[in-house]
Amino acid sequence: MTATTVAARLPRTFALTPRARRVCLQVATGIVLLALWEGLVTWLAPFYVTRPSGVVRHAWEVLSNRPTALTQLSGTFWYDVQTTVIAVLEGLAIGVTCGVFVGLAMGRLRDVEWALKYYVGAFFALPTIAMVPLMTLWFGYSSTARLVIVIIGAFLPVALNVYEGVRKLPVTYLEVARTYHARWWNVWFGIALPASLPYLLAGIRLAAGRALVAAVVAEYLLAIRGLGFLIKADMQSFSENQAMIALIALALIGVALNTLVNVATARLLPWYRREGR
Amino acid sequence: MTITLDRLRGPLVALTSLAVGAGIWEWLGTRIPKTEFVGFWATVKALGHLIGNGQLGSALGESMEVFGIGLAIGAAIGFFLGLLLSRVEWLRIGLEPYITAAYAMPSVALAPFVLAVFGFEVKAKVIVVVVFGIWPILINTLEGARSVNPELLEVARSYRSSEPKLWLHVIVPYTLPYTMTGFRQSIARCLVGMIAAEFILSSSGLGDLIIRNTERFQTANVLASILTITLLATALIGLGRVVENYFARWRAGA
Repeated sequence: MTATTVAARLPRTFALTPRARRVCLQVATGIVLLALWEGLVTWLAPFYVTRPSGVVRHAWEVLSNRPTALTQLSGTFWYDVQTTVIAVLEGLAIGVTCGVFVGLAMGRLRDVEWALKYYVGAFFALPTIAMVPLMTLWFGYSSTARLVIVIIGAFLPVALNVYEGVRKLPVTYLEVARTYHARWWNVWFGIALPASLPYLLAGIRLAAGRALVAAVVAEYLLAIRGLGFLIKADMQSFSENQAMIALIALALIGVALNTLVNVATARLLPWYRREGR
Repeated sequence: MTITLDRLRGPLVALTSLAVGAGIWEWLGTRIPKTEFVGFWATVKALGHLIGNGQLGSALGESMEVFGIGLAIGAAIGFFLGLLLSRVEWLRIGLEPYITAAYAMPSVALAPFVLAVFGFEVKAKVIVVVVFGIWPILINTLEGARSVNPELLEVARSYRSSEPKLWLHVIVPYTLPYTMTGFRQSIARCLVGMIAAEFILSSSGLGDLIIRNTERFQTANVLASILTITLLATALIGLGRVVENYFARWRAGA
């Protein structure tokens, strides 16, 4: 009440645009959240638990790749960022490509659909990370194990979503295609794939999330260099503030992947507002 | 006659495919060393053995305790917070970017921090599951509650409905179908959280069964555990879908 009257009395130049008010509100909320975190940790938790002031204090040391006495391994923060990101992108590229082909085949060919749908459904339901220890038996404690688990994580949501999208293909499209004697590859890649693009993009969004989680868990459990392992190494040497910086990096990677899919959706499908699933 | 044959073809193909899958599994088991992979039959026998000596039962119990409590707490908080944010606009705008970020980030990476603060107990694992499961319910509830027809709210208000009654009689019934879509997604995420907690915090339950047997190269037991989790996850997500469809029918009927 008072706030609005004050705002009304201010000169026009001081009035904030709605957008600026949003940003101010969000920044203020962020500051309150950080203050809450700092306060609660200082009040309740042991000294080694991470807090914003500690993260700020250690940020430069981690970001400048300087090795510390406590954590020799965290000396190469950017190397860990790079290897995790590359593993995720590699796995996504392979997984999404395979997923598109399998999804198209399942959507277009009835026998393939029936032959594969229980397998794909069951493996989709299974938390991918449950297979990480099995990968060590097959591929050892190596980055191949990480890549394979990332591929599995990326493949399943894409295959399932493309399959669903192709199945919902409007019959009229197919009738027109048949009238013009379209060949099967025209139907698959010229009609079915573009028409199921919203599903594909929703699948890629899920795939990116799963791929990142798979990579982090693989690094954590198998001790492969990457952000997941960096967090483990830092936590075990009570360098929690350094580990928190790795966590923030992971969060930023997650947000960046998500934004990438959003931008692609806005570019490719301006008419499409949000995924139907 | 031809119609019934045509109708039978799909399930027949599926059955054949499952049989061929089991066959390939069995065949691979004879070709690959036992420490890396075992056949279908050996896996089934290991499963029977694990059920017989009670290991699977107790592991399942431990896992389901963590999963169930975590899902319930996550759902309750997510639902309430979603409704609250739909009614308090400044809070929603303020928190929006942070909720989006929390949903997009890999929640597993938080598990080590939960471990550091809350230790190895069941409580800590439940917290990990909550962190995984809360977001889909929160986001779907918020979206549903925000799409309540404004006319409904206006009518309720013109009859001097109080805020609690408005929630109870208008917003909650309208929102529940959306929440249930989030609930189904949360089931899947909570299962991931459950396994992650059992791997990264003190190992227990099904996660422990996998880790322990991997370390001893008891591959048959590993495969049997993964098979169990697959069946469990399929059943739980199927259940979630049934609940979701029940409420979706309600939405369509209204």
